[in-house]
Amino acid sequence: MSDDMHAVASRPELPEKSATLDVTRRFRDLRSVQWRINLGVLPSSPSASTDELRRVTADSRRRYARMRRRLLIDPHTSKDGSNMPDLAMDNPLSQNPESSWGRFFRNAELEKMVDQDLLRLYPEDGSYFQTPGCQGMLRRILLLWCLRHPQYGYRQGMHELLAPLIYVLQVDINRLCKVRELYEEHFTDKFDELSVHESDLTYNFDYKRFSNAMDIPSNSNENARKATSLSDLDTEVQQIVLLSDPYGAESELGIVLSEKFMEHDAFSMFEALMSGVNGSVAMADFFSHLPADGTNNSSPPVIEVSTALYHLLSLVDSPLHSHLNELGVEPQYFCLRWLRVLFGREFKLLDLLVIWDEIFSEDNSKIELRDAESFAIFGSARGAFIATMAVSMILYLRPSLLGAEIATSALQRLLNFPQNVDLKRLIQKAKSLQVLALNAASTLSMAPSLSGELDHRKPNVRGHSMSSDSLSPKSPLSLVPDSYWEEKWRVLHKEEEELSRSGSEKRVPIPTKKRGWTEKIRAGLARTESDPSPVQSTNVRKGPRATVRRSLLEDLSRQLGSDEGIEDVIPQDTCSNENTSSEDNSWVSSDTPDAEKSSALNDDSENYTSGESPLPVSDVPVESSAIMALDDNCIDKVEKDVKDQKPLLGKLQWLWKFGRGYPSEETADKGGETTEAPKSTDPEGSQNIETEPSVFDEIHEPCPTSKGDGQDLNMMGTFKNLGQSMLEHIQVIETAFQFQQERGHAGPLESFSKNVLVGKGQVTAVAALKELRKISNLLSEM
Amino acid sequence: MVLVLALGDLHIPHRAADLPAKFKSMLVPGKIQHIICTGNLCIKEVRDYLRTLCPDLHVTQGEYDEDTRYPETKTLTIGQFKLGICHGHQVMPWGDLDSLAMLQRQLDVDILVTGHTHQFTAYKHEGGVVINPGSATGAHSSVTYDVNPSFVLMDIDGLRVVVYVYELIDGEVKVDKIDFKKSTAPPSH
Repeated sequence: MSDDMHAVASRPELPEKSATLDVTRRFRDLRSVQWRINLGVLPSSPSASTDELRRVTADSRRRYARMRRRLLIDPHTSKDGSNMPDLAMDNPLSQNPESSWGRFFRNAELEKMVDQDLLRLYPEDGSYFQTPGCQGMLRRILLLWCLRHPQYGYRQGMHELLAPLIYVLQVDINRLCKVRELYEEHFTDKFDELSVHESDLTYNFDYKRFSNAMDIPSNSNENARKATSLSDLDTEVQQIVLLSDPYGAESELGIVLSEKFMEHDAFSMFEALMSGVNGSVAMADFFSHLPADGTNNSSPPVIEVSTALYHLLSLVDSPLHSHLNELGVEPQYFCLRWLRVLFGREFKLLDLLVIWDEIFSEDNSKIELRDAESFAIFGSARGAFIATMAVSMILYLRPSLLGAEIATSALQRLLNFPQNVDLKRLIQKAKSLQVLALNAASTLSMAPSLSGELDHRKPNVRGHSMSSDSLSPKSPLSLVPDSYWEEKWRVLHKEEEELSRSGSEKRVPIPTKKRGWTEKIRAGLARTESDPSPVQSTNVRKGPRATVRRSLLEDLSRQLGSDEGIEDVIPQDTCSNENTSSEDNSWVSSDTPDAEKSSALNDDSENYTSGESPLPVSDVPVESSAIMALDDNCIDKVEKDVKDQKPLLGKLQWLWKFGRGYPSEETADKGGETTEAPKSTDPEGSQNIETEPSVFDEIHEPCPTSKGDGQDLNMMGTFKNLGQSMLEHIQVIETAFQFQQERGHAGPLESFSKNVLVGKGQVTAVAALKELRKISNLLSEM
Repeated sequence: MVLVLALGDLHIPHRAADLPAKFKSMLVPGKIQHIICTGNLCIKEVRDYLRTLCPDLHVTQGEYDEDTRYPETKTLTIGQFKLGICHGHQVMPWGDLDSLAMLQRQLDVDILVTGHTHQFTAYKHEGGVVINPGSATGAHSSVTYDVNPSFVLMDIDGLRVVVYVYELIDGEVKVDKIDFKKSTAPPSH
């Protein structure tokens, strides 16, 4: 371990900020001093003399010692020193919260928690952090900080923030020892060997005093006479000497690099880091679940910062952002750990020190945010850098993240950050992003996720990969609020009534509507590879479908009557039904009832049961011709395209999945709710989700290579139609269930539907699972 | 900082129903490291309750204990101190200091904890301490009149032990403290 410490002094070459004496680089090789300056423990003005540094050091140490004496109590010594303590209060079993014993026990509990974490801190053999001395220091510092800040308590991770601070202090002290050995004469007052020229004892002594009191640059004249004068030494060594002179300002307490006061210094650094010292970024905020003061949001700071991070990512690399969103990878899953320990768990200790160098060298003063709604993390250069560092880390993992199919694998990648990374590149990238972040900070707003989706439509969406195209279906859909579907429901309901009344009159508009919708959805949802051919194929299908619809309406009762007929139709139906219905069923999960019904009727169909099959049953009493028409279409389609659909299903599924993205999660939830309403069971829910992919399968199926232009307008209309059709299906299913429940049905029909629905619940579930598996397979193929 | 609870002569259920409520509210698990019980619990349930306060429980045989498998005497070492436990009905005359001192020498302990008299006493005797925690429930005794519920908590810290006595007098918990420092010389007697 000591070898590591000696090696720490060298850092990778980083672009120098400026040629002038930068305050952030003044003590480049003495990390502990440098960090203390950056964190605000020591005065940061470039002109601060050694004396000033020493004085501030001494002050902070005194404060710590005072506090330590006060807070680490020994219950045996009574508080006020009186000889007759109030035993009723001060006995060990006292319930009184103010008794010293009560405090003692509370401290003991806190200590237990801290110890749990300390045991696991860098537990490898020979680790410096596991030595009893270091552990004792860590324990005391953490205990005192938590006692000082009871509103935070002790949270896991605080010890990891503290550990590198102690480490750099130890490193510098080791360095001091080395320098001490080499330049012994500057550290000790040696009066035995005097050079011939200086025979005056006092003169020699005065010289020492002088050199200690001087600033580093102004060391010239007085030293000229000494053979090995202070100015001849390296600047670094000079600094070390001056900072560690026991006769300087504040004498021993002021020795900036002192082993005796390591605990004190570490505490000051830790406190400064946690509280932010009038800056913008306070690490303690990341540990609290209360919203930070002064912000007008209601989420914990970590969540807020994670959102900011994702926001930034969406600006920089929209495809990756949307991909992560679609997988459901919330930023706080991995950001919590990254932020709370400032990337301490992602990098080796030595790498971490470099990163922290960069973080701390950023200015932490508050920047005025133009927009009050902006993310607070961008309110300082340091905050922005932390955020951009995280973003650059995410970008580093870009290839593997994009290839992740499920949230778990993406999270695994993010949480197991590779050990050997090119730090320089990461940091440079972060710095370049920082500029962007700071500039954009004022214009960014903490919009809810809904409008966040709007970002995708900003001009700086980079069409990197095929996924970019899949974004386009996402954005218009995301603009659709929940109330939209409710409207559609009402609209559809009215339509249905009209349909039932008017019979075939409405059939025409609906098929045409559907046709138009299918075209549009194809156009919108297709990937770059897909052409208009899906549209064409749809049109082809639509034609016969419309005609079939009309005829089927008349034949409906016949179909319903013959179970066998229906069942024959259904296996074929499943494909087309599914496809058709899936076509019609858009993102709204209302499809579930449909799916459930169809699957219920369809035993062996490897596909999804469309909701059409039971429709005839319910339709007879309900007489919703629209649905019947749909049924007809499904049946018709099935006969035509059963086999063709399979190969293309995969592509469609893939696109469907991409297109679903964020809103689909919401819709899925909604779907779950709607399915609950008609007392649908779980299989229905899963079926519903399956139906949706199948919809898209169908869409893509005819022409996987069709070109998807994704016209927004078209898509809007498309989705409207989709929603309407889905609502139709919901209604149908609902009525079907009602009938099943109320038994207000013709006997055979009722029993048929009932048997079908109840008996095939399992089948539905199985089919749904199969479908999901297929989807994932297809995705993996992609 | 080891906290040792010493109590005994509860006589539950024969002579008392339960510990006084005020005592019970004070005795919470987690604070006490050892419990020493002189005996006469009397039933298993009392022992289970004491075990919930602290898993390290030492009981000696009292004449009314239902469970007959407890030892007559017991010694244990806590920190720098050797403790001895005995119920005390075996030592005649009951409660006599000299006789108890004999037992202390016999067991070779620094602190001897006995009971049976239902009366709290604490003597510093010949470099050791003889403690009687009294009856924790205030159960009736043929030897003592006006029994007050009491128990003892010892805080052993290095060579020093602080004995806190908790007594329930007129419905109020009174606490008293006795300091005892062990001489570093090994006990020769």
